[in-house]
This record gives sequence, C-alpha cells and structure tokens, in this order.
Amino acid sequence: MSALLDIRDLSAGYGSLRVLHEINMTVARGERLAIVGLNGHGKTTLFRAITHLVGWQRGSIRLDGVEIGGARSLGEGRRTPGIVRLGVAMTPQGDAIFPGLTVRQHLDCGAWSRRAWRERARRRELIFELFPPLRKLETTTVGTLSGGERRMVSVGRALMTEARLYLVDEPSLGLAPSISQRVVAALREIDVADGAMIVAEQNVSLLDGEVDRMIGMHAGRLRGDVGHVELG
Amino acid sequence: MDATLIVYALNLSAIYALLAMGISLVWSSIGMLNMAHGATFAVSGYGALVLGELALPAVDALFGGWTILPLLRMAVLLASGVGVGALFGGVIYLIAFLPIHDKANFPVRGLIVTLAINLATVQALLWWFGPRQQALPNVFGFGRLELLGVPVRYDQAVTIGATALLLAAVLGWLRLSRKGLEIRAMMQNPEGAALSGISVRRTALPVMAVTGAMAGAAAVLLSQTVFVSPDAGAMPLIKGMIIALLGGLGSVPGAAIAALLIGVLEAATGAIPFLGQRMVLLVQFGFIIAVLVVRPRGIGGLLDETRK
Repeated sequence: MSALLDIRDLSAGYGSLRVLHEINMTVARGERLAIVGLNGHGKTTLFRAITHLVGWQRGSIRLDGVEIGGARSLGEGRRTPGIVRLGVAMTPQGDAIFPGLTVRQHLDCGAWSRRAWRERARRRELIFELFPPLRKLETTTVGTLSGGERRMVSVGRALMTEARLYLVDEPSLGLAPSISQRVVAALREIDVADGAMIVAEQNVSLLDGEVDRMIGMHAGRLRGDVGHVELG
Repeated sequence: MDATLIVYALNLSAIYALLAMGISLVWSSIGMLNMAHGATFAVSGYGALVLGELALPAVDALFGGWTILPLLRMAVLLASGVGVGALFGGVIYLIAFLPIHDKANFPVRGLIVTLAINLATVQALLWWFGPRQQALPNVFGFGRLELLGVPVRYDQAVTIGATALLLAAVLGWLRLSRKGLEIRAMMQNPEGAALSGISVRRTALPVMAVTGAMAGAAAVLLSQTVFVSPDAGAMPLIKGMIIALLGGLGSVPGAAIAALLIGVLEAATGAIPFLGQRMVLLVQFGFIIAVLVVRPRGIGGLLDETRK
C-alpha cells in the first residue's frame, strides 16, 4: 500500500523569501507524526504549502497518490477548498477562526461534506464529548471565548467532517500547560483510522508518548527522524 | 419634524439602504469594491421598462378591475427589475471577479474593472435607448392613504414596505441559511473559510446576484418618482458608496444605520427653509466627512463582522 502523504522536493516561501528547502517526507496510514522545531523554522509553512496557502511553492505533494502539489507563484488559497475536500483537515495556528459566529455555527462551518452537513447535530455531540467545556458555550460568540476554548473550537471544526490527513498547527501555542495537555489528550482520542495526523509543536515534552514518530525541523529542512522519544 | 417628513425620510432611507448594503456586502464577503453597482441600477431600470411593456398589458387584461391591480403591476415591475439586476450581478461576477480574483492586487484591479463595466454599460444604454429620459408606468397615480393619521403616498408606502421585506429576507438568508453561514464565515476570515472547504468562487456568485437584485429593486422603487435614463446609476452609486463608507465599509448593519441617518438628514435639510434641496448634497457630504474625521472606521467600526 502506498504512503498516505508523499512529499518530494518541496520548496516554498513568500515573495523573495524562501522558507522550505527541498523537503522530502512520507507519512504512512494510521500514523501520528510530530514535526518539532523552533519558531520560524518552517513548520507552519510546511502545512500551508500542503494546503496551498503559501505565496509560492514547487515540488510534488501526493495525497493517496493524487498530486496536490505542483509549482505556482500566484493564486494562494485558490486550490485550498479543493484540497480540503480531498480530505485534508487543518487547524491553523493561533485562534479559532470566525470571531463573530457562535460555537455551534463555527462547528457547522466545518461540516462541508453533504453527509456531514446532514449529520451535523450528531457530530457536534461528538465534539462536545471530546471537549466537554464547549457544551454549555454552544450559543456563545467565539470571539468572546478564552484562548483554550477557542483552540478547542478550532480543533473541533476540523473534526466535523472525516478527513484522511489531519494537520494540527501548534496546539499548545499561548495556552496554559494544563489546558494544552487537555488539547493534546483530545488529539490522542481522535481516531485517524487509515488516515494520519501531523502535529507541529515546539514543546517536545508535551507530545511525549502521544505520537508514533517525531521529525525535527530546522531552518526549513527536516533534520533527523528521531522515532519515538521518551523524555525523562 | 412633522409626520410627512418622517415618511419622506424613511422612503429615502429605504432606497439608500438597498444600495449601500449591497456595496458593503460585496466588499466584506468577496473583497471587491463594486463600482458597477450604478450600472446594475440603470440596467435594472431599463429591464423593468422593457419587460413591463411586454407583461403589463397581459396583467391588465387578466386582472382588470381588481382593486389590487396596482399592486400586481408593481409586483411585475419589481420582479423584472430584481431579475435583471440579479442577472447583471452574475455578468459582473463573470467579467470582474472570476478571471482576476486570485491574482495579485485584486482589490485595485477589481475596482478598475468594475468601473470600466460601469462606463461601458452607461455608453451601451445610451447607444441602445438614446439619451432621452423615460418614465416607468406610474402604477399608483398620485393618491395617498391615511396611515395612523399621516398621509402617505402610495408609492412611498410600497417602497418602505417592499424594502423592509427585502432587507428582512436578505438578512434572514445571511443568518439562517447554509450559504449565509458560509458567506459570514468568508467575511470574518477568508483563509479560515477556505480551510473549511468554502470556495470563494462558489460563494461569490450568489452574493453578486443578491446584491444585484437589491440594486434592481431600488431602481424600480425609485423609478416611481424619478425617470429612467442611461446615467441614472451615477448618483445612486455615489450615495450608496459613501453611505457604505459611513457605515464602516463591510458592516451590513452599519450600512443600514448610515442609510437611515442620511435619509433623515436629507429630508431635514430639504425642509429647512434657508438650506433647501440645493444644499442637500453639501450638508450630506459635510456630515459624512465630519463623521469619518472623528471615527475613521465609520459607524459600524464597533459592530462585528467587518473585514479586518
């Protein structure tokens, strides 16, 4: 069986700035992978290149054998909805994304497939089971929530439709340690089935034991596939 | 301020709200400043004129003698204006949005292309229909009805009523439908919307059609008091644009509030003896400049759902 995600010679950047330098990586089915590295070394750009949100990119990205990469220097975001509909669910870095919508509306936005939209009430229930604090906030505007609650909404939105590839960008960014642990524990709960999940994170100890494999990222290049790490 | 003046102010506000909310909605959801809104207005006026000439005799023959005949005639005109407006919105989408929306510097390019559509359309109307002003069939005559002791002209009552219904329908559509949810998501965060599988290309077409339909409705309602002419869209475009600015460009509720303010201001200015109708524009623009100096984000700056 071919790899779920196969990235070959991916370079990407913004304008004259080149962030990623010929990245090669494969992700197998059922795998939970972490990409760790410091701020500004290209973790987010890698995710944004997979979803065509960077300024320019070149190189091959194959999702289940379907080419979603290619070279382009314009039209950022143009192919994004199509890539999402191929089964890529991304939780962007930072806060929940539609500040003026209620938690319920926000989650409904994630239910883009016909089937998910029909079953959205049941799926919202699943999200509330994963993140119990959201249940009583269902009709609250997302913009007024705390950072941790927003992150839960943002992750929950990505889970409303089944995806083959989950991309979670910095789940702990700006959160108190206990809350980021809760978010990471919820990520562990997600059934990736024959899909895969990639988490970008700088806090390595937070992901200890929660992922199958870790890859370091430094200065736009992947450095060392460290496998499973235990930190004492 | 006596009661007839309030009715007049509401009448103006209704027309302005239809135009300004359309401009604001297009800007906030798809990031295009639609300078062709005035062309949509003029084209819809002519559309109602042409389609009305075709359809009204049949309506008269079918429903002649009915007391609600004027309302039916108005409905026919309104439907043709709304339909032509929505179609023209689709044309703007095809020419000015689809080919360039993902190219660099789209806001400026979109502005230029829609302005070009506006100019070309005015010239096309001039060439086809000639410069002569034409009147849409006057449906209601000049009768008045008493409403709570206030004499209201029939066309004013219909304008205010129809606008209230239309705006309620549009706002309800935005609040309650799935497409409306997608549009609001796109207003608040285009990138987040893309990551939720919402395609701007698929969402922009209904937005353009609905705002075009609003301009079409405004054209038909206004045509009961004002003539239809090729450049009839110029003043509605300018006023719609500045009211949208005053409301905080991109804020739909802000545009509604600004339309109400400007409508009342226009009616009041016209009624004050030493100012009168000729000073209306001066007072209006002075007011808008003053507000924007004090509050550069406009009235809706504090309301949510504006484009950041």
